[in-house]
Amino acid sequence: MNEERLTFFGYFRNIYTAVKSSAIGMWITFRYVWGKKPVTIEYPEVREVLPENTRSRLYNDVLNCISCNMCAISCPVDCIYISSVPRPKDLDIPKCDDGTPKRQVLTQYVIDTALCCYCGLCTTVCPTECLTHTEDYEFSQYEVEDMKYDYLTDDLIAWRDRLVKA
Amino acid sequence: MQTWDMDLPELQEPETQTGEKLKSELLTVNMGPQHPATHGVLRVEIKTDSEIVAKAIPHIGYLHRCMEKHCEAIDYRGVIPFVDRLDYLAAMSQELTYSMAVEKMLGTEVPRRAVVIRTIVSELQRIASHLMAFGTYALDLGAFSPFLYAFDEREKILRLFEELSGARLLYNYFWIGGVWNDITDTQIDFVENFLDGFEKELVKYDKLVSQNRIFQERTMHVGTLSLEDAHSFGATGPVLRGSGQAWDLRKVNPYLCYDELDFEVPVGEGQRGSTVGDCYNRYYVRMLEMVESVKLVRQSIKLLEPGPIIGKVSKVIKLPKGEIYMRTECPRGELGVHLVSTGEKTPYRVKIKSPCFTHTSILPHIAPGQMIADFVASIGSIDIVLGEVDR
Amino acid sequence: MLNDIVSHINSHVSNANASLISPVEDGAGDSSILINPESVFETMKCLLTSKYNALQVISGVDYTEYIEVCYMLANFDPENPREAIIKTRLKDRENPSLDSICSLSLAANWQERECYDMLGVSFNNHPDHRRILCPDDWEGFPLRKDYKVQEVYRGMEVNPEAKMNRDDQLFGENVQKGNEEELLKRALARGL
Repeated sequence: MNEERLTFFGYFRNIYTAVKSSAIGMWITFRYVWGKKPVTIEYPEVREVLPENTRSRLYNDVLNCISCNMCAISCPVDCIYISSVPRPKDLDIPKCDDGTPKRQVLTQYVIDTALCCYCGLCTTVCPTECLTHTEDYEFSQYEVEDMKYDYLTDDLIAWRDRLVKA
Repeated sequence: MQTWDMDLPELQEPETQTGEKLKSELLTVNMGPQHPATHGVLRVEIKTDSEIVAKAIPHIGYLHRCMEKHCEAIDYRGVIPFVDRLDYLAAMSQELTYSMAVEKMLGTEVPRRAVVIRTIVSELQRIASHLMAFGTYALDLGAFSPFLYAFDEREKILRLFEELSGARLLYNYFWIGGVWNDITDTQIDFVENFLDGFEKELVKYDKLVSQNRIFQERTMHVGTLSLEDAHSFGATGPVLRGSGQAWDLRKVNPYLCYDELDFEVPVGEGQRGSTVGDCYNRYYVRMLEMVESVKLVRQSIKLLEPGPIIGKVSKVIKLPKGEIYMRTECPRGELGVHLVSTGEKTPYRVKIKSPCFTHTSILPHIAPGQMIADFVASIGSIDIVLGEVDR
Repeated sequence: MLNDIVSHINSHVSNANASLISPVEDGAGDSSILINPESVFETMKCLLTSKYNALQVISGVDYTEYIEVCYMLANFDPENPREAIIKTRLKDRENPSLDSICSLSLAANWQERECYDMLGVSFNNHPDHRRILCPDDWEGFPLRKDYKVQEVYRGMEVNPEAKMNRDDQLFGENVQKGNEEELLKRALARGL
């Protein structure tokens, strides 16, 4: 502590500077009373529009998936589980929207959303761009098990209308 | 275990119980791990003699997530989301260091446009991080409104990052070889508008906090770290610069396009009657750095020219054998990545030299003799993020 | 420039045996200086008093045959910036030990504690030789390549079976348990 010795005038000077600088600060904060728009929003009623490439809940449009396993390999936390079987020989080979033949039949496609770290590495490697991040960010569940999404169940149909980007 | 208690002479019974020689036993106070002033889960065991801190022992490791062990099992691209989670307030800077280390090993050339975007983004990240440091520091010392004003400005930067990368905090935006998304003209306009408004805000912060007499009384001549000690501790960033050494990697050993940009390295010179190396200097260096960052972003926007944003990198990254120690100037100091590769798809060893770890070790050194409230000011002024301390 | 440092070490420290390690032929990266483990204290004393002013970090790598400890030194002086990696190799994996350099650099205290915590390298004459990130009574050294997590810690089961995420394995079992055909039928019904 190398403070100077307090003099009589120094004492009052200190009081003066403290009051003055506090008054300046008070004036700055006081100006926020009028003329400043609030920056917060009232969340459940007003929702912020998220940018286009927001990385939130994953959605797989299974009809376009060719079971290439690229997403599962690139995932750093291993939260994507895929199983597929070769297509039975008596069936025709269907094609994706972009013309890639689907040689495998995707039998299960599960993403553990509770484990997902939303890094976006899986969506960038997807060759048919069927795996996408949606802008849906409200998906809390009561059980951890419910966070595991099986994209081949009936719920898929219900999600599809809500989730798939136009 | 607790070898600390052994050599404390204060613990002995005092000879006389009267007058100035009256001494009581040291009281042990645990500050944290859930204390708002410890910036995370830091526990500091403080031995106090009434209000005076006699000894402070930081206990870290509450946020230890075995990040370095994890990295040994993940491919090089997958490490980037993990590096984000070190210093979650300056994730872009962490990504930059790691991806520069990998690129240097691979010999990848990063396209010009990507380099400039990286400069813009990492400077904006520096502003965002320093705003957080400024806001929480004022909050620690009892001022609430600067915190809100700082978050208001920081929110604009986060919004820009969200548009760029898709995430608000953990971006995964810098890829090996370049960046993920291109920056559009609208976003550039947004940045320029933001900078114009932000310069006025900085003046306001200066009037509101830096010139405030109460704030000055709380921070000046408190927690002084001499330059020799700062060197001996290996301190970097605002802590070293606050102690009076103009050391900045961006100037000394320029990476990205810092060699083409004109900026100054702010140093703590005992501004406004403070001692060099005290809390006020460390704080003030950060405020001055924000001014420099504004300049840097303005200049680098002018360097932006059309072109590719990601260089040629093979799908499966395999690094050649060898090791590298890469360091860059992050908002909190120099972050170093020691990367060892044996030619496999995964790193053999990733060691993160975190500035916060180094700076936390300064706390026991500057604590003795301080008031507890001043100790809070000291913790705030070194600006630690526990995610990086514990890794 | 590292060559100067090597000759500087060799001329000042008698048993250092300093040698320069350059990247291998098809490799890349930084060069470093290898020294004798017995001479760590003397070498650091020589370097930290003359050429460098700061110890940045002590890093360690477990190469299964030996444990390598790297000291990253730097000279934080804008006029004269320097950087070096000083390495030493410890053949003894059971009880690797080095001399502490806490008396030379204040940074060494925590860095050596971390090195001990993660790799089990003990430092002689360290004033406060404890673990730093893991609990004091934790067993094993996590960053060794042959590390196995202890099973019981203070009466608590570490990584209990019920809490482990076994979905990867269960998923495989689920598919192999003979309901493959069911799954295939379901998939075909969805038009895949």
